[in-house]
Amino acid sequence: MPLRGATCGFCGLLCDDLEVEVDGAALRVVRGACARSEAALAALGAVVDPVPRIAGKPASLDAALAATVEVLRAARRPVIGGLDVDVAGMRSVLALARRIGAVVDHAGGSIKYRNLHVLQEFGGITTTFAEARNRADLVLLVGDGWWRRFPRFVERILAPNGTERRIVTLSALDPATRLTLPKDADVLALDAPLTGMPAVCSMLNALVEERPVKPARLAGVTPQALQRCAEWLRAAQYGVIVWSAADLDWPHAELTVQAIARLVRTLNGTTRFAALPLAGSDADLTANAVQTWQSGVPLPASYANRSVDFDPNRYALRNVLARGEADALLWVSSLSGAAPPPVPGMPCVVLTRADVELDTAANVQIPVATPGIDAAGHLLRGDKVITLRLPRLREGGPPAVSTVLDLLLARLG
Amino acid sequence: MLTRLSGARIVDPAHGTQQDVRDLYVRDGRMVDRPRDGERIDRTWDAAGTIVMAGAIDLHTHIGGGKVNIARGLLPELGRQHSLAATDVCGACTIGPAPSTLATGYRYAAMGYTACFEPAMLPVNARQAHMEMGDTPIVDKGAYAMLGNDDFLLRLLADGANRAEIRDYVAWTLHATQAIGIKVVNAGGISAFKFNQRSLDVDEAHVHYGITPRTILRELARAVHDLGVPHPLHVHSSNLGVPGNVDSTLATIDAAEGLPIHLTHLQFHSYGTEGDRKFSSAAARIAEKVNASPNVSVDVGQILFGQTVTASGDSMLQCRNSRHGRPPKWVVMDIECDAGCGVVPFRYRDRDFVNALQWAIGLELFLMIRDPWRVFLTTDHPNGGPFTSYPHLIKLLMDRSFRNGVLASINPEAAAMSALGSLEREYSLHEIAIMTRAAPARILGLEDQGHLGPGAAANIVVYEPHPDPEVMFATPRWVFKDGELVAERGEVKTVICGAIHTVKPDFDRGIERKLKGWFEQHHTQSLSSFKIDDEEVCECGRAPRLAVHACRARTA
Ligand SMILES: [Zn+2]
Ligand SMILES: [Zn+2]
Ligand SMILES: [Zn+2]
Repeated sequence: MPLRGATCGFCGLLCDDLEVEVDGAALRVVRGACARSEAALAALGAVVDPVPRIAGKPASLDAALAATVEVLRAARRPVIGGLDVDVAGMRSVLALARRIGAVVDHAGGSIKYRNLHVLQEFGGITTTFAEARNRADLVLLVGDGWWRRFPRFVERILAPNGTERRIVTLSALDPATRLTLPKDADVLALDAPLTGMPAVCSMLNALVEERPVKPARLAGVTPQALQRCAEWLRAAQYGVIVWSAADLDWPHAELTVQAIARLVRTLNGTTRFAALPLAGSDADLTANAVQTWQSGVPLPASYANRSVDFDPNRYALRNVLARGEADALLWVSSLSGAAPPPVPGMPCVVLTRADVELDTAANVQIPVATPGIDAAGHLLRGDKVITLRLPRLREGGPPAVSTVLDLLLARLG
Repeated sequence: MLTRLSGARIVDPAHGTQQDVRDLYVRDGRMVDRPRDGERIDRTWDAAGTIVMAGAIDLHTHIGGGKVNIARGLLPELGRQHSLAATDVCGACTIGPAPSTLATGYRYAAMGYTACFEPAMLPVNARQAHMEMGDTPIVDKGAYAMLGNDDFLLRLLADGANRAEIRDYVAWTLHATQAIGIKVVNAGGISAFKFNQRSLDVDEAHVHYGITPRTILRELARAVHDLGVPHPLHVHSSNLGVPGNVDSTLATIDAAEGLPIHLTHLQFHSYGTEGDRKFSSAAARIAEKVNASPNVSVDVGQILFGQTVTASGDSMLQCRNSRHGRPPKWVVMDIECDAGCGVVPFRYRDRDFVNALQWAIGLELFLMIRDPWRVFLTTDHPNGGPFTSYPHLIKLLMDRSFRNGVLASINPEAAAMSALGSLEREYSLHEIAIMTRAAPARILGLEDQGHLGPGAAANIVVYEPHPDPEVMFATPRWVFKDGELVAERGEVKTVICGAIHTVKPDFDRGIERKLKGWFEQHHTQSLSSFKIDDEEVCECGRAPRLAVHACRARTA
């Protein structure tokens, strides 16, 4: 059975050390597996010859493209959502958006915006995976989902080959993740519930800034533990604070991100500290980066009226749909396997991962290649600096997003 | 296909000083001497009464790579205010302080620029830099890879590696990142900042590696020279923006030990500490040294008044200068055991003492450095101001009374401390053509750019003479790129994709064994993921052509 080197595009870590056994369509990760790659490869490996569909019925690509052109020609206020696509795919999405005057937004737009908002208001001091891996003597982990969202973070960055450093966890670690830490790692566990994050983060700010506060018991954390945590932070030579914005799922979560950014900036007054927001999954950073460099403003954006505009509320996909400001949805997805939000009564064209079966029949569904599986593709890694090329794993399979959209553009003329 | 451009006055300093009126001929995108016997002329452009130069070349402009994109993301409110509507050939985009790649390509081309060089490509960020440059239409591109703060090189130097090994690593980096030159930014300082050192002078030791910036500068200048890379080591000196940094700038020149080096955005490195405010111009001292050092070339990094954003690899100094930033939000990054960056918005004000003096210092450098072949016209876009202000800057250089008029309107204390008012020099058209065309082509080793002789790329800019040089240079009548009309009177006519310029010096690939181990131990990607091959860079960079320029190795 041929073994192929592969890069996993199913979370923002973009691990490039995988070996995958390719047996016809079937795919099995034999080295460097994570829960996310295993699930995706199992699903994709089980699909044989996916075909486009029109109103749920199998159709040729040609007919599907013709039907799509009809939908887009009739649309006056189209929106393009999803956008878990590679760089080439996003380049084509934007070419199409300019051509049809669409609003564009990533499926995870509101999550990403928790970090972006703080960047735009405040800025930040950040670091990257290899810096954290090689230099950090203390890592503070915020949130309770990063180990599910970034399954190999501990193995590849936090504690590679049993590297020891001080670790502070604001939320209780799940037992399985706890086991992957070096046996005698120096861990300070605060074990606050998620809802306690904002309070704990602002208290840590106050303690680190040496404001005259009396640490009280906060979200179940003792004053002693908070004091100790602040001491550890101040004593670090190179501290890193890690979180995944997807975990911070409550109203005004950006305030918590801002509290973290402020903490990092304060600590930098005397020692070195940096933030490492984990992101990049479902190509959210890729989509935003390409949009930002090509147009000068980030997502979500509108290309209506032959110009481009950015507005995080006005053009957020769910707001546009809720306000009834769209008359056609083009959903473009190649990595996550996510289905589009329901848009009853509105024409809907869906480009999806080959294994996705829709509950409701879209007007048109076109299966597309997943980068790193059926097509090569470039994705931006979660630390925002490195772009990797995901090589193609197997022959055959559906066309790449960019191929489909470029055909569409040619037909739209 | 043969085209004639007739009747223009040709200003082409690569081929002498005479500016005669003659016809130019273009066959299939290249300049030719004259038609073959009996060859039909397919099209004639009547350029009578115009002034023609080769396409301009910007050898230091931040057009691609993560830090520019961070700047865009940091300031969307400024991007939104400067929207460029779509035309029949151009896509909708914005042109804020950190303009979109689309606007960058359109505006450079419309201004008569046909090649732009990104000066600070982090090796780990090279793919994205090439992608952004690929989405910068029309102009040709190239990039300098940043070394001198990467742990691999610092470790080699600390271990006393031999020169051959350093040379091989430098060459390997040029190949792996598809670069045309090597830049060093605050040698050792970006790395030292990761160890909480907040400043690093040329002879100060890095707290962890124990080596000094002087060693790093000397060894990199040596490696680049020995490999025969045409462009000298491109140096962003220590102590960016710090009053009194004139001493470290002079020490930096000495560190090259007579080997070629290029000092970039020199204006930010020419500060003294005289006067009540302990901030003064040291342009005269710097210019004197540059005039006396034929191995040194410079670009100025002129500041112009208004809102901009600074995006630099120099995390150490950007962190330090961040308190002066407006609006008050900024980003600093430590990057992947390789480099760093800092993005700080700035609003340069003509009534502000420091900003006004910075403006004057830049102009003093332009006027005091005598040889136009060794001083280049830059604003360190976007750091000193946007590239779109070049026509204004040219006017400041060419028109003394205009210059003195502006001088009279800036902060009077700064104006009084500057020698600018007494400088009588006015640049000639010929000198402007040298500093924006012939000289950058020569110093980058671009044999077929920056001139209009036979074999050159048919990058031709047709200007209508005007008493106001700003008007003349802002909107040339025609801009031809590789023989094609790409812009007319400031409007883009055709959108094409430019080539990527690189060098590929010979080296011993044995260095990869050591690098592979290093990557496995320290990096979070493999060596093979890191490298960008020719096919991939052309795909990322949408390049129809990879132009590989010759290196003439200077060692056996
Ligand atoms: Zn994975
Ligand atoms: Zn610089
Ligand atoms: Zn620069």
